[in-house]
Amino acid sequence: MGMVDSPNGNHQARKGRRQSKRLGFHLDMTPMVDVAFLLLTFFMLTTTFAKSNTMEINMPPETGEVRIAEQNVMTVRIAGDGMAYCSLGEEVPRRISLYGPSDSRKKSLSAELRSLLRKQTSANRKMVIVVKISDKAKYRNLVDLIDELNLMKIDRFSLDDYTDQDEAAIKNAV
Amino acid sequence: MARIKAKRVGFRLDMTPMVDVAFLLLTFFMLTTKFRPPETVQIDLPSSHSEQKLPESDVLTVTVSGDNTFFMGVSSQQSREKLFNSVVRPKLKAAGLAPAAQEDSLRNFRLTESFSVGREELDRFVVMSRFADQKLRPVIRADADADYEAVSHVIDVYKKANLLTFNLVTVLEREVR
Repeated sequence: MGMVDSPNGNHQARKGRRQSKRLGFHLDMTPMVDVAFLLLTFFMLTTTFAKSNTMEINMPPETGEVRIAEQNVMTVRIAGDGMAYCSLGEEVPRRISLYGPSDSRKKSLSAELRSLLRKQTSANRKMVIVVKISDKAKYRNLVDLIDELNLMKIDRFSLDDYTDQDEAAIKNAV
Repeated sequence: MARIKAKRVGFRLDMTPMVDVAFLLLTFFMLTTKFRPPETVQIDLPSSHSEQKLPESDVLTVTVSGDNTFFMGVSSQQSREKLFNSVVRPKLKAAGLAPAAQEDSLRNFRLTESFSVGREELDRFVVMSRFADQKLRPVIRADADADYEAVSHVIDVYKKANLLTFNLVTVLEREVR
């Protein structure tokens, strides 16, 4: 370990004489090379390149109408006030808090909204969820809602424009 | 002739050339590595549980920053050049820029990851880049605090350009539920 050896170093024999020039000096480099390669392999194996994750969204084409029975549509309207307004078909929307009680920025949807979504989609397999988001809402709301739907494996949902009718509809929400 | 070969005790191999090469490569990669250039704007991406990865090539990214300004970028240099020729160059010409200056800004444009786009221009840029490269995959990279109104504008633009499947960039939420 850590030895330094010089081939022309018969020091004991030549004690007292003038020390010879150290020609052909050898240093055992094995430990250094070991460490260098260990580090190299470690960083090579643990490096992960930063790649972003994505969510895919499909939009229905503008043309071509799909007709769905009224009782199979659940509309989720998100206004800018942190509330979701859910309504089945044409009935009066129900006001539900969008986010559950949680601290700071890590927000998840409220348990009430989640259970409603789960109940409706499991009760009726043909249920389509129409998501309408107000211009006053944040982009975060869209991502959180779609993420939740993806987690629940609900793929029958679509995004639609938020119109003045929706604004009027949520006015008399219960 | 029939002598027994001496056991090789204390066998030594000169490792200097190997170490030379290893360190040469190490230094070479260390010095030539280019880190990702700093972003034009800081984007605070929303978190989700999606684990799909974003493709690296052939993407058309529209970035919406927290203050609702739009940025656009295409990933390949050929598309950037086509986009420049069809949209930016006429504008520069109209502004009375010399051809040399136009070439210079083309060189710059080829290397820009994303550039600022006005709300009204976005439509034209998206259509032209779609025209330049059919394979482009549309991506929306928006700040979590951006207004939905701005994002829905981008979605409308994509819809009008007949891009009906697009990706939203998110970061992975580390939380078990």
